[in-house]
Amino acid sequence: MKRYDLVIVGAGPSGLSAAIEAAKRGMEVIIFDENEKPGGQLFKQIHKFFGSKEHHAKIRGFKIGQELLKEANELGVEVVLNATVIGLYDDKEITVKIGDGINHYKGDAVIVATGAAENMVTFPGWTLPGVIGAGAAQTMMNLHGIKPGNKVLMLGSGNVGLVVSFQLMQAGCEVVALVDAAPRVGGYGVHAAKVARCGVPFYLSHTIKEVEGDEFVTGVTINQVDSSFIPIPDTEKHFDVDTVCMAVGLSPMSQLLKMAGCEMEDNPKRGGQVPIIDDYGRTSVPGIIAAGDVSGIEEASSAMIEGRMAGICAAEYLGYCTKEELEENLKILEDDLESLRQGMFAPKNRGKLIEKTEEGIDISTNLLEKGYISEKEIERYPGVTHKVGIHPVIECTQNIPCNPCQDACKKGCISIGANITNLPIVKTEGNCINCGMCVASCSGQAIFLVDEDTGDGSSTVTMPYEFIPLPEVGDKGFGLNRKGEKICEAEVVSVRAVKAFDHTNLLTIKVPKEYAMKARFFKALA
Amino acid sequence: MASRIAEHPILGVQEKGKLVLFKFDGKEIEGFEGEPIAVSLKAQGLMVHRYTKKEHKPRGVFCAIGRCTDCVMIVDGVPNVRTCITPLREGMDVRTQYGVSDKPFE
Repeated sequence: MKRYDLVIVGAGPSGLSAAIEAAKRGMEVIIFDENEKPGGQLFKQIHKFFGSKEHHAKIRGFKIGQELLKEANELGVEVVLNATVIGLYDDKEITVKIGDGINHYKGDAVIVATGAAENMVTFPGWTLPGVIGAGAAQTMMNLHGIKPGNKVLMLGSGNVGLVVSFQLMQAGCEVVALVDAAPRVGGYGVHAAKVARCGVPFYLSHTIKEVEGDEFVTGVTINQVDSSFIPIPDTEKHFDVDTVCMAVGLSPMSQLLKMAGCEMEDNPKRGGQVPIIDDYGRTSVPGIIAAGDVSGIEEASSAMIEGRMAGICAAEYLGYCTKEELEENLKILEDDLESLRQGMFAPKNRGKLIEKTEEGIDISTNLLEKGYISEKEIERYPGVTHKVGIHPVIECTQNIPCNPCQDACKKGCISIGANITNLPIVKTEGNCINCGMCVASCSGQAIFLVDEDTGDGSSTVTMPYEFIPLPEVGDKGFGLNRKGEKICEAEVVSVRAVKAFDHTNLLTIKVPKEYAMKARFFKALA
Repeated sequence: MASRIAEHPILGVQEKGKLVLFKFDGKEIEGFEGEPIAVSLKAQGLMVHRYTKKEHKPRGVFCAIGRCTDCVMIVDGVPNVRTCITPLREGMDVRTQYGVSDKPFE
């Protein structure tokens, strides 16, 4: 049996963050992870993260993973891969399956950062090859470079369903529909809007009736459900697909904590069976600390902060830092975490219908029910203002904790203020120089640069564009509206792909003047 | 059928191991060394990994991270190998699993 100061289970965002904080304070740390590669789900996250600078905002998930790994390695953290922790016993004895053998370890402190597992729903045909989890889709396309399917139906409109739908299109798959039994989109409106404007229809209050196929998926039938989720007769719609993807939530993988004798509870707001913890992740068993999704489903940004808290708590528990240092650090981290847990999608608001923004503006019902903001609704938000010449138009209409756009603009056009969940305001007195940094900095791809009247009966619209092939100047095609419908002819007049934009290329199209506030995507002539 | 992503708008061109031959139900096919066996199979459009013991229903990849065990096959004579997390090696013998056997049901 080998002893370590700290044993961490799980090398995802929270486990690595915990290891870094503990190792910094002189602890001997080992992490076990059952996967072949470290980083948890971070290496599948190819989108830019939300938050503020402190939360790694506008950095893509896989890059955050690379940074964390590098830091942990430099601090001498030992990461053991293909190592499944199968037991956590009294006195923090741990059994780990490595290869065909069982190895025995002991940690003076233990951090459990095992994350979560995907939920599923069942329907006739759900076991057919071709019905997959959204995580599987991300693993296939973003880690292994293979399309999960050619024509995909997505079940689930939470952030995972929305983000993965977009990623499927980036990988070259067609997403035929996004379906959710709930009456409203569960994830961020900006994620929904970027999927909808590519032309993906949203079917809220719908669920899967059955998936068809003998050996593998060949089609799927959905039907509408009433407010009690009972199918409504004669509302079936059929789609020819080869893949059905499920993104119907996550459940904490808390079995080890239960095994270790930690007090547990069933808490639907935290995603299921979770340990009872204090504000910093400490369980009822001294020296066993939980961090990340295992103690409540959130996302990677908060998992990293929770991991850091856990690492410092473990250090203090074993005397590697003073109580004063602990308290000082926890306070800073707690403020960071608290700022992420604000806004319409905060854990405390889960399941609540929010009808107005914090500013008192009506939330777009069209966005919640169809995935895009209607032309009538868009004008009421503070990011949508008008002036002569180029100016940003920010279609960010829900209070989410995110503010990189404010820092990106050096010309005073964009203001969010100290409260990072405020809706961005576009100030008409700002002096937009068409630099495009705001467009590329927006993790929600919700910023456009618009010149409503270029003087020749046209207008120009600059949009974020993360697909290939990247159109070229002179390419002709169509302007698409927020729903993804062709509404006018369009010509590409500028394409900007600079390193600072980090693969969010800027595409500028020329459309007739009357479409300046309507055209939000481009489709080239086939 | 599903195929490999030649170039990705964010990730570029994926680095892969060397192209090797392996056997699927006795037939020689190609895959990249080091990638999960399931990925090599998917690249060839092969979706069915096994048939269940009692009802003889087809199963394939579901979670792709080694958790659900739906994708298990017989690899080099060993049944119940999770192909979504087992790296492909040159010359591997991968077989469809029927129950826990490599013999198709009568």
